[in-house]
Order: sequence, then C-alpha cells, then structure tokens
Amino acid sequence: MRIVMAMMLGVVLLASGCASKVEYGDPQARETVTPDFGSSDLQMIAAKMVDDMMVFPPVVELTRDRRPVLFVDRVKNKTSEHVDTESITDTIQSRLINSGKFRFVDMTVVDRVRQQLEYQQDSGMVDQSTAAQMGRQIGAEFMLYGNLSSIVKRDNSTKDVYYKFTLKLLNIQSGIIEWSGEKEIRKTRSRSLFGL
Amino acid sequence: MEADRGWNGKKLWLMLVMPLWLTGCAVGSLFQPYPSQAQSWVHPAPGRDAAIVQHLERAGKGRDGVLYLQELGLLQQRLGNDAASRTVFADVINHYEHTDAQALIRVTGLASQTGALLINDNALPYRAPDYERIFTHSYQALNYWAAGDVTGTAVELRRAAQAQRLAEQRREGELAEVDEDAASLDLSQYQGYFEGLDAAAGAVKSSFQNAWTFYLSALFWEAHGEYNDALVDYKKALELHPRADWLKADVQRVSRALDGHREQGTGTVAVLYEQGEVPARQEVSLPIPTPHGLFLVAFPSYSVMSRSAPRPLTFEIGGQTAQTRVLADVGALAARNLREQAPAMLIRQVLRATGKYNLQKKANDDFGSAGAFLTQLFNLISEQADRRSWLGLPAYAQAGRVTVPVGEQQVLLSGPGGDASVTVPVAERGLTLIHVTERAGRLVARVLPVQEGPL
Repeated sequence: MRIVMAMMLGVVLLASGCASKVEYGDPQARETVTPDFGSSDLQMIAAKMVDDMMVFPPVVELTRDRRPVLFVDRVKNKTSEHVDTESITDTIQSRLINSGKFRFVDMTVVDRVRQQLEYQQDSGMVDQSTAAQMGRQIGAEFMLYGNLSSIVKRDNSTKDVYYKFTLKLLNIQSGIIEWSGEKEIRKTRSRSLFGL
Repeated sequence: MEADRGWNGKKLWLMLVMPLWLTGCAVGSLFQPYPSQAQSWVHPAPGRDAAIVQHLERAGKGRDGVLYLQELGLLQQRLGNDAASRTVFADVINHYEHTDAQALIRVTGLASQTGALLINDNALPYRAPDYERIFTHSYQALNYWAAGDVTGTAVELRRAAQAQRLAEQRREGELAEVDEDAASLDLSQYQGYFEGLDAAAGAVKSSFQNAWTFYLSALFWEAHGEYNDALVDYKKALELHPRADWLKADVQRVSRALDGHREQGTGTVAVLYEQGEVPARQEVSLPIPTPHGLFLVAFPSYSVMSRSAPRPLTFEIGGQTAQTRVLADVGALAARNLREQAPAMLIRQVLRATGKYNLQKKANDDFGSAGAFLTQLFNLISEQADRRSWLGLPAYAQAGRVTVPVGEQQVLLSGPGGDASVTVPVAERGLTLIHVTERAGRLVARVLPVQEGPL
C-alpha cells in the first residue's frame, strides 16, 4: 500500500514538473540565454548612443534654442546574425524624441503619407479648409546612420562574440559628421562539461 | 537451479531489450538503412511530393531530426517553396547551434553511446558533418537571395564562411586526438578498406572546404562592390583549385577593380549548377579481430565505382558559349569525411564485436541452441553499417560566369538533363544568377533577383 502511495506521489510530482508555464518577466532584466544579439544588447546600445549624443558639447549647443529635425537612414547589419537593426534605431529614435531635444521625419512611411495627402487633396471627400497641403513638410537637417558589425571566434568549448555598433549624425547640407558614437559589447559562452 | 535460470533469462532479455530502450526505441535508421529510406525523396514518384514533405516533417522530430530536416529544406527549395525551405533551414541551423552549445559530456549522450555500443552506430544521434553544414548555409543564402533579402543573404554567406573557418580550426585539434586513439589500433590489417576509401576521397584535400560556396559569396560581394571580400573568397576558391585558370582570371579582374579599373556597360551572368546525386554510403563486411577470433562486421564505405564523372552544363548567351566547372566534388567530400571518422568507428566496432561475441557465448552456455539462435538473430539484424548522410546533395556543385552587355539577354542552357532557355535581365556591374538543378532527370532553372549597388 505504501509503495502504491509513493508511486502515485512520484507520478504527481513528475507530471507537475513537466507542465509548461508562462511567466511575466522584467523587460530590462539581463538576458543571457545565448551569446547571440539579444534584448539586453539592444537596450545597452540605445542607452549609450542617446547618452553620448545628448552630452556632446556641439550637440548641446545645437539643441539649446531649437529642436533640429532628423531622419534615420539605416543601420547596416554586417554581422553573421539576422539582427533587426530597425528595432535598434527605433529605440534610439524614441529616446531622442522623448528627450524633447529633437524632432524626426519618418522616411519609412513616405508612400503612405503621399497616398493620404492625395486622398485629402483629390478625392473630393475632405473639407479643403482642413485638408493637409502638399509641399509643407519640413526637410530634415541631419541624418542618423550606422553599422553593426561582429567578430565571432570559437573553439570546441568557447564562443566569443564581439559586437561593435557605430552611429553617426551627418549634416545633410554641409556633409559634415557632427557626432559619432560607438558601443562595444563582448559576450562569451563556455560549454559546460556535464549536462543532460 | 530453475530460479537461477529464470533470472538469467530475464537478464538475457534485458540485454537484448535494453539497447533498444536506451536508444529511445529509435526507429529511423537503426534497422532500415538510410539510403533505402531516402529513395523516396531522391527519386520521387510523380505526385508524391506532399506525402514526402509530410513524412520528412514527422521524421524531423526524431533523434536524427537534423538529417531529415536538411533533406526537407533542400526538397522544399527544389519544389520552389522558398519560404518553407527558409523556415526549415533556420531550424536546422538552430539545431547546429544547439548541438555546439551542449555540454561536452551528457547523460543522454552516454545512453545513446551505450546503445551504439550494443546495437550499431545508427543509435548515435545524427551529427551533421561540416561539409553538410556549409551546404546548409549556402542553400539558406540562396533562399534569402530568391526573396530579395540582400542583408539576409549577406548574413548567411558570412555564416558559411564562418562554418568553413571553424571546421578548419576544429580539424586541427581533432585530427591529432583521433590519431592518438587510433595508434592503439593496428590499422594495417584494414589496409584494403582504407585504400578503397582513400581512393574515393582522393579528389579533395579536405573533408569540408567548399570552393562552390566561396565562389557564390565572391560573386555576391563583387556585385555589391565589396571587392576586398570578393578577392578573399575568389582566392580561397583558387587555393582549392590551383590549376583553374578561369579562377585566376576572376582574381585578376577583382584586383583591378580594387585599383579602380571597373568595366562599363556590362554585367555578369553566372550559372550555379547542381549536378547528379551524391553517392550513398555502401556496406562492406570487415573482419574485426576479437579475443575469440575474427568477427565479421558491417562497416560503411564509399567505392570509386559508385562515382560518376562530372558532366558540365553549357550555356550560350549574347553570342558567347561557356561551360560550368566543378567547384565542389561532394561525393569526395563525403568519402573524406568518412575516412576521418573511420578510426574512431573502428574502435567502437571492435568493442561492439567483443560485446556481441560475449553475449552470444553466454546465451549458448546458459540456454543452449535456442539462446544462441536468438542472440545470433539479434546480432545479424543489428549488424547495420551507419549509412546516414545527406543524400539530397548533388554529386558535383558546379559554376560558371560570363560578362555580357547590359539589357535583356536570352540564355540557352544545355546539359545531360536536356535543354532549357531563360531570359534574364543584365544590369551594369550587376550580377544575374541562374540556379540550375536536376529533378527527375530534367533541368530546372530559376533566375534569382539581380544583385547590384552598394550593400
């Protein structure tokens, strides 16, 4: 009888141990599941870039009395991973907008904006006194662009990944790079000797 | 005495059943040779594609999953389902990453090792050799290429280069270890076996270096004006084929481009040709000496006889005629890979032969002829060589290129599998890639999106 009870207990424990569960986590928590590019890297890069840019004296000078208009070109992915670099620039852009120092134009929605403008102007459906006018958009003064590159080294027991993120702020009219920031990240994974 | 006999009987059954249990009652290739399973997708019956895809998807969940998924990814690509192929190959690459990150000594690994020691090497989970991994990245690059995702293509080509570099490093360390292990084993008694395998592997210098992949990425980098990267990859391809004058011409052209001499008004049309089918491993009987005499065991091998000569594809475009040339001899890569594994396999086989002999002897002593018959039957059925390898791969991976004037061009392809004609766009300093495969003995050509401009 005792054996049966023990077995039943064992089965219950086993079954509950196997059940999958869902939990909420802290999005800012350090993520170290694999050495691949992950959320912590994205957050570290965005924080470093924005902090660097905001304290750079010429940029402080530039934003003292006005909010310059920027546009994000793109960050080239030169790594050996499929990284969504747009997500990095989105985070940087959000932080810069929220700082209240910069304004942005979004080049990724130009076609849809044009469609909407044409609808407002030409469809006859919109009250012209409220319709947005063509040719009134503000031209961007600066362009943000950059690179994400990586060097991967590995042997039988270790994988070492070095990421370098570079971001530049270019004055479109003069062609001068006003600011450039860099963030390096190194991650190492060692294989354990024993495991399941 | 009777009770003792009963207990012994249980032990015998346990010994016969235990290995099966340890291998997770693996179906797969344990008792049915892999090449005969692969017939259904290497030579598919008409109209069976959907059923084969389903079968491979199911098999992809098993312990040899990665092998079946490799087959599935390639099959989907050849069927024109690029998106599906991309998902499958992404799974395959994740699997590689996962195996590379696993602990060096694993409990489950030990279980299958024990299973392999008692049954056969098919009980070991399939581990994709380096040359297959490199092909996976190349095919995945072609999937991204076909979808017009330039960044994705670049990433996969970098990964392929990384896989080649890693394989080289790994090889330096591992070969020394294997030689040490094999030193305890007298290889001279298997000379006949090794000579045959060496002959099959003779055409290549290493078991993984793949000039086809280097050439593919060199073409891609060149089209995007990354001449430095292109030069490195053309040179690596040339290193593997030092006598290929056409590769020397590529190196010279890109060197000139690096100095600022770029051609005007022309573009490149390149043809990638996957010809034939990679030969499957064959089973040979090898006498293994045990303390009790010779024991005949099944061992995988490749023979020179199963290798066919490469057949080039001729392509005519804008009044020029060119031919594709062999850049990767996949059959030889596979044979060399097996040759590298053979010493370790022999050691396992000697242990296994001894174990099986002891089992048979014990059964004979304890249960007389019935026991001996049972164990003999088990030994006979379980004596299967490990014949698993990616069989969807071509026998020869070939490529060729020509420079032609910008504009629409008609390309006539003719090869052993018949003719095909395609019209392709040619952009200034751009690259138009025609990917040609064979399916059911016929040429299948597809034109991939033109690559041009900076990355």
